[in-house]
Amino acid sequence: QGLPPGPKVSVVAVTQPLPTQPQYTRVDVPLLREQTAQRSNGRVEVQLSTHAERNLSGTELVRLVRSGQADIAAATLTTLSGDVPILDGVDLAGLAPGIDGAKRIAEAMLPVVNRDLERFGARLMVIYPFPAQVVWCRQPFSGLAELKGRKVRTFGNSLVDFFTALGAQPVSIGFPEVYSALERGVVDCAITGTGSGVAARWPEVTTHVSNLPVSWALAGYMVNIAWWNRLDPQVRSFLEGTFREINDKQWELGAAATRDGLDCATGKAEGCRIHTLATRPITEVPATEADRAALREILEKSVLPGFVKRCGARCGEVFNQVIAPIAGVRAGG
Amino acid sequence: MIAVVFLLLLLAAAVFAAVTGGQTVPVWEILALTGVFLLFFGAGVYIAAVLGLLGILIGLTFSDRPWWAFAGQTLWGPSSNFVLVAVPLFLLMGEILLRAGLSDRLYRALNVWLNRLPGGLLHTNIASCALFSAISGSSVATAATMGSVALPYFRDSAYNQRMVLGSLAAGGALGNLIPPGITFIIYGLITETSVGALYIAALLPSILVTGLFILVILAHGLTHRMDRPPPLPLGMKLRALLGLVPTLLLMLLVLGSIYAGFATPTEAAALGAVGAAVFAAAEGKLTFRLLHASAEATARNTALLGLIIFGAYLLNYLLTTINVPQALAGFIGGMPLPPWAIMACILALYLALGTFMEGFSMIITTVPVVFPIVTALGYDPIWFGVMVTMLVEIAQISPPDGTVMYVLQGMRPKPGPITDVFVGVTPFLAAYLLAVVLMMIWPEIALWLPGVMG
Amino acid sequence: MALATAMAYVAGWNYIACALFITFDVVARSLLGFSSAATIEVTGYMLAGGIAWGLAHTLARRAHIRVDVWVNRLPLRLRAVLHLVSLLLLGAFAVFCAWSAAALVDESLLFDAHDNSALRIPLVIPQGIWTFGIIAFCLMITVLALESALSLLLGRPAELDALLGSRTLEDETEEALEAVQMAREGTR
Ligand code: NA
Ligand code: NA
Repeated sequence: QGLPPGPKVSVVAVTQPLPTQPQYTRVDVPLLREQTAQRSNGRVEVQLSTHAERNLSGTELVRLVRSGQADIAAATLTTLSGDVPILDGVDLAGLAPGIDGAKRIAEAMLPVVNRDLERFGARLMVIYPFPAQVVWCRQPFSGLAELKGRKVRTFGNSLVDFFTALGAQPVSIGFPEVYSALERGVVDCAITGTGSGVAARWPEVTTHVSNLPVSWALAGYMVNIAWWNRLDPQVRSFLEGTFREINDKQWELGAAATRDGLDCATGKAEGCRIHTLATRPITEVPATEADRAALREILEKSVLPGFVKRCGARCGEVFNQVIAPIAGVRAGG
Repeated sequence: MIAVVFLLLLLAAAVFAAVTGGQTVPVWEILALTGVFLLFFGAGVYIAAVLGLLGILIGLTFSDRPWWAFAGQTLWGPSSNFVLVAVPLFLLMGEILLRAGLSDRLYRALNVWLNRLPGGLLHTNIASCALFSAISGSSVATAATMGSVALPYFRDSAYNQRMVLGSLAAGGALGNLIPPGITFIIYGLITETSVGALYIAALLPSILVTGLFILVILAHGLTHRMDRPPPLPLGMKLRALLGLVPTLLLMLLVLGSIYAGFATPTEAAALGAVGAAVFAAAEGKLTFRLLHASAEATARNTALLGLIIFGAYLLNYLLTTINVPQALAGFIGGMPLPPWAIMACILALYLALGTFMEGFSMIITTVPVVFPIVTALGYDPIWFGVMVTMLVEIAQISPPDGTVMYVLQGMRPKPGPITDVFVGVTPFLAAYLLAVVLMMIWPEIALWLPGVMG
Repeated sequence: MALATAMAYVAGWNYIACALFITFDVVARSLLGFSSAATIEVTGYMLAGGIAWGLAHTLARRAHIRVDVWVNRLPLRLRAVLHLVSLLLLGAFAVFCAWSAAALVDESLLFDAHDNSALRIPLVIPQGIWTFGIIAFCLMITVLALESALSLLLGRPAELDALLGSRTLEDETEEALEAVQMAREGTR
């Protein structure tokens, strides 16, 4: 829908880690920047950039929005959980084996996490997924159980808990160094999104990739509340419409990109349309029933208790109220 | 100086924006800022303060957002960055090696083998610097360590003092180019390229530069004939090789651990520092006093770089906030010139900056602005990283301002004007520039090896 | 002054500890099959603390980098005034840094922020140590500025030049030779 003429609104938005990611090129650039300018007849102008271009690591995005440096910012929730612990609970390892489950949990949790975020002057408008986080290894494996004893590059607390429980050894290495770490065997395996792995040319240095989504790297678009409330109501509902469209597009992309990343990694040219086809195709390791069972068991026994310990008993109660009915797993027994 | 360059670039970008977008340009504000900073430099203001205050003024002039509310995070991010931990570790390793006298043994061992070539001991200067560079990540540390060891050998010799100083300065300027190197680590940090790949890419170029240096000395040796020292028996020469063992083992530890998959480049720096201390202990020189003095020097040199990082990151943050890099990249990318001509301009800019600027501040303030342009032009980030490192090294030995040259001037046993160093280093500077031109014509010199190994 | 020197020694030994810590982590990971899972964060904090705690001492040793090619050619009186101006400008920047650092600590307190490492270290601790170093730097600048202003008022610009002028080549030489001396001591 359009927007009646009025005073110009200039918006600063910092979204997505890298400017090459499809979440940026296929959603943020066309919807958030171009379409808003077009539909508002130039009234709303969005100055868009990525974390990399702004020299940001991703952990400080809540503070960026709170300080009014950006009006809108998007980042993955686990990287923000140092500042706002409850955000980790939306995307625990093993919580949602399918993207539909992840979406239902995200929708249910949105108003709940906002109660915490609003204390800091920020509000989440949309929670969206990156392609499923899967395990890539430089040696063959046929299931999760075989990762025991291997060095796995992880990020975020719940993944560390997850791989520790599997008997693997979690190693923390910065994302740009993971390629050479895999190449030289500093680590045996690493976890990242299907799309990010292909984009970082991991198929060149790995041989096998699992198709079991361990988590979804859920991310969210936040706004600065003071700025949001000050907006002309017409502009606000105009932007709300934009966020609704972004929400739909990002979930669509998340599902498509998950499969696409795997197809690109395994050299299936017909399915590889979003990312670039790997020059050295690798093998896809299909998830087994045993894997799914292990995922669930570790969630219950290690990941969930770890989350409650970090975040506090209140987070456990929130989890049982909001997520347990969807996921079928309860915290604290 | 760099601040002035930045402001002029800012002005160019603003004029460009005005021409294309029809906005008003704050020309006077920019000119006034430039004037203020010319004055600052004239007054000898601290570099970090110049960069930081320029950032603050730009923020106050051009940004309508409360950027100061985010400044703490802007300073905290780089100061607590794991990748930069390698910097004090390499400095620490250099300090320990210097104080433990391991570099002296290296020099004596090489000397026995090289002193009968035309050019004699001058070859030892280059070779020992090159070997030392393969364990140390800093050019200043290389020049200081090998210079303090080598200069006494030339005290009453017939060698041309200028060539002696020149060859040591040139050898020092291999410190960052031959892996490992601090410049690569910082470049990798800013541009998110793999430091391991940068190291591999730098191997052939560093052999090329070392080879050109040897040619310079051979040419000098053939035109300035000197009596050769008597040949030594082979047994003695072989025994002398033992002096190389600590250096080679450290090299194996630092580079080997990276390529064997034990450690990341940052971690390898820590292994090197601990390894250096172990060798010092084996020599019976690992005292509390040695560690205490090394700790103080490391703390001082890291703080000096850290303060510049504060200023540079604040400035970078504000420049990005007002979209300067993006505008500049768009502006240069849109110029009606072929990519190689634009690249030549960028390299020329680095050379010009390098004559009066210190390499480290040069890389940290310019790469964030220049890098997007380079990638937009279609150049390889790894290749550009090697090129920038070479230009930073050239900056260290290009008169009138170059840390490596100052260090050597300060260590001369017999006093003399600094112009001796300037004249002596010139043929080596020319050789280094030739290597840059060759790299421009054949980028494969840097890219072939990573391609084969990756 | 003594405090600043002591802080710099702490900073320096902290780098030695850092080297040992990382080495231990690499060895443990390769041979013993475990790692601290917080090395990246902890050594990053050690670097931040090391930088901040070394700042004041580095200033006292006149080692912070300036572009002083022109200044050193000026007559002593003018040079002394410019030294003081430079110091005051550095002070302005340092106070801004200290203020931002303190604001960051305050914000981390508000968030009760922890890092994402396995140890979940409260960010207030490393950021507080870091801020303390920057504040000490500001104090050092204040002390030096008062001393220099006094020398200037008393008409003793040479004292000020000695206090604030850049390290001369002799200073650098002395230090390098001292280090070489230490290397030679053991052999004879
Ligand atoms: Na080196
Ligand atoms: Na120079």
